[in-house]
Amino acid sequence: MSASLDAAKELLARWPVVDGHNDLPWALREQVRYDLDRRDIAGDQSAHLHTDLPRLRAGGVGAQFWSVYVRAEYAGDHAVSATLEQIDVVRQLVGRYPGDLRLALTSGDMEAARAERRIASLMGAEGGHSINNSLATLRALHRLGVRYMTLTHNNSLDWADSATDEPKAGGLSRFGEEVVREMNRLGMLVDLSHVAAETMRDALRVTRAPVIFSHSSARAVCDHPRNIPDDVLERLPANGGIAMATFVPKFVLPAAVEWTQRADENMRAHGLHHLDTSEGGMTVQRAFEAAHPRPVATAATVADHLDHMRDVAGIDHLGIGGDFDGTAFTPSDLADVAGYPQLIAELLDRKWSTADLAKLTWQNAVRTLRIAEDVAREEQARRGPSNATLEELDG
Amino acid sequence: MADLAPAELTDPAGASEISGAAPGDGSAGPLPLGLRGPLARARALLATHPVVDGCNGLPWSLRRRTGHDPTPGHRFDLDHGETGVRTDIPRLRAGGIGGQFWSLQVPAELTGEAAVTATLEQIDFVHALIRTYPGALHLALSADDLTEARDHGRIASLLGSAAGHAIDSSLGVLRSFYRLGVRSLSLTAGRSTPWADSATDEPRAGGLTVFGEEVVREMNRLGMLIDLTWCSADTMRHTLEITRSPVLWCHTAARAVCAHPRNVPDEVLSLLPRNGGVCMVTFTPEHLTRGSGPASVQDIADHLDHIRAVAGPDHVGLGAGFDTDPATAHRSPVPDVAGYPLLLAELIDRGWSFRDLAGLTWGNALRAVRGAECAARAARGRRAPSTATIERLDGERA
Repeated sequence: MSASLDAAKELLARWPVVDGHNDLPWALREQVRYDLDRRDIAGDQSAHLHTDLPRLRAGGVGAQFWSVYVRAEYAGDHAVSATLEQIDVVRQLVGRYPGDLRLALTSGDMEAARAERRIASLMGAEGGHSINNSLATLRALHRLGVRYMTLTHNNSLDWADSATDEPKAGGLSRFGEEVVREMNRLGMLVDLSHVAAETMRDALRVTRAPVIFSHSSARAVCDHPRNIPDDVLERLPANGGIAMATFVPKFVLPAAVEWTQRADENMRAHGLHHLDTSEGGMTVQRAFEAAHPRPVATAATVADHLDHMRDVAGIDHLGIGGDFDGTAFTPSDLADVAGYPQLIAELLDRKWSTADLAKLTWQNAVRTLRIAEDVAREEQARRGPSNATLEELDG
Repeated sequence: MADLAPAELTDPAGASEISGAAPGDGSAGPLPLGLRGPLARARALLATHPVVDGCNGLPWSLRRRTGHDPTPGHRFDLDHGETGVRTDIPRLRAGGIGGQFWSLQVPAELTGEAAVTATLEQIDFVHALIRTYPGALHLALSADDLTEARDHGRIASLLGSAAGHAIDSSLGVLRSFYRLGVRSLSLTAGRSTPWADSATDEPRAGGLTVFGEEVVREMNRLGMLIDLTWCSADTMRHTLEITRSPVLWCHTAARAVCAHPRNVPDEVLSLLPRNGGVCMVTFTPEHLTRGSGPASVQDIADHLDHIRAVAGPDHVGLGAGFDTDPATAHRSPVPDVAGYPLLLAELIDRGWSFRDLAGLTWGNALRAVRGAECAARAARGRRAPSTATIERLDGERA
């Protein structure tokens, strides 16, 4: 393994990881209300965070889509404001650590950052609630630098169904389709993580640009709604997009899926919300964990997904989206952003070629954004900005 | 900031006669304008020192008229004259407009993200206007952009003022607005924000709250102009005490001439020389004469005369407020944006000098924008973006 690990690090020095999803901005918001002095990521923050600059360097990360996620519960109140705050903190981080981070708005910026050995910093919004049903707001997010939007988070919207909620729109509504078209026109990647399979299929039908799954794995390997069914993976070659495998144990390890269900039921049986992190909630959770040891995922679990996804979608349609700082638990040997070499080493041991790994880590993601930029240029020549409204299209 | 007056403000001939010389071009002598009427002389002045107007409500006005589809070219076309509104490109040209702050105000009834979203839509709309009419409009994010637009015969288009309540009490939202091109923000509109008192609402903060002060400091750091239109006199004074860059009033008038609560009291006007800001006078009848009959061009000139006398000629400007209030449009002394030369002719008749007129139309606003940029450069060397929150600074009251 040690030889593989060295080879992995060597490979990453040339073809670093483009990671699809990292929730550092939300962690900074929740932990210190964006007081960056209290979470100086130039130094070791492993006591608080999965992410800091030394570990990003150790992990061979060359580009990061920073998630500007906000809670869907903010919708109708502060979702847009909070999203702007999330974008603002990413721009502050980039301004604060110019030797390590470089704002990336294009595929060209990503390549320039790699050449300078800086970490290309891109932004992704997580959930259509961040645009408050307003295409002008979508354009504002794009102008501020956001380069993908996940159509939903855990809750269904009026115009798009989530994988983890009751359907409302039957996939995408007409307005939802217009959101996809406007994203195509802007050159903002359509992210299909979190959405219902019907929404994935609708989006693939409507989009002219490659889609991404910023942090989702294979449903055939682990049957969880957050993962991608094979029939959708099979459509990626025609679309050109990528599925970025995630590390979240409760999505990738079948035993962890089952364990999580039972843990959640236990919380509810105690009259608590399953995500309750108050002291009372944590006490109940710890008691459950003591009685029922938590199944542990590893890099091999993630590699199982990637093997399957390569078989179904093809090597040109894969990527990595760890979801660090967005998940309580991680695979044991992918415990933080320094862990990517472990995964690459595992894949080397499985006889993945260097050429294939370079596609997985770097080339596929950069190509996807570049094609989306090409499509945007074509679309902008064909149509102006859309000011369609939900009321107008969906009645 | 008064020492930042650009060179072009000085009358090259040193005369009070209106000169046709190009700005900063001392070689061209005064044109023989003495025999021409005041209107012709006004137009000659505007050719080199066009109006930078502080407030035009066209964005919301068109949104109201076109409903869900404010796409330029769909239901209106500013290139060919637009009768339903008081602003279009031919009339902006005729009026001698060289710079326009396009208002981003949204109704005070909108709160939280509804106000944020509506403002983002207004910002998007102004960007769309600028893209749609590239021969006439030029996005201006800086003082240099203003002069560049003028030198290319285009109307510098500035985004602002946005409404204070539209930042949803968040400095991150404020910074996002700045990144989207917004260059001025009114601390309040008709209603108080949670952190600043309006002139026409119950005072809550007695001026600015602690968070309100932080908003002012962050605007200083960004280089976003602080617009005190609509603010209470306490908010005006409080802001002038702490701001390190020039303030503006995007459309207001003098309280000593017309006792409207929104107009600026003399003791505040007298603080302007030290601050370097500019008080831009509205054409809205309500603020000129308090609704006592229709206002006249003379009424506007009376306010300008008074502000010039109290604040000085370097601190007076124009912010007509066209298309902000359709209800009073018919009573306006100046029917539309083509009418500025009429007002300047009146001032010429009253003996305003070239220097004072050039400051009124162009130089004072330019100096305020440049002054805010200079103050921002200095502030950015001193402090990082503020992470203050209203909860932390103002406590539970927020």
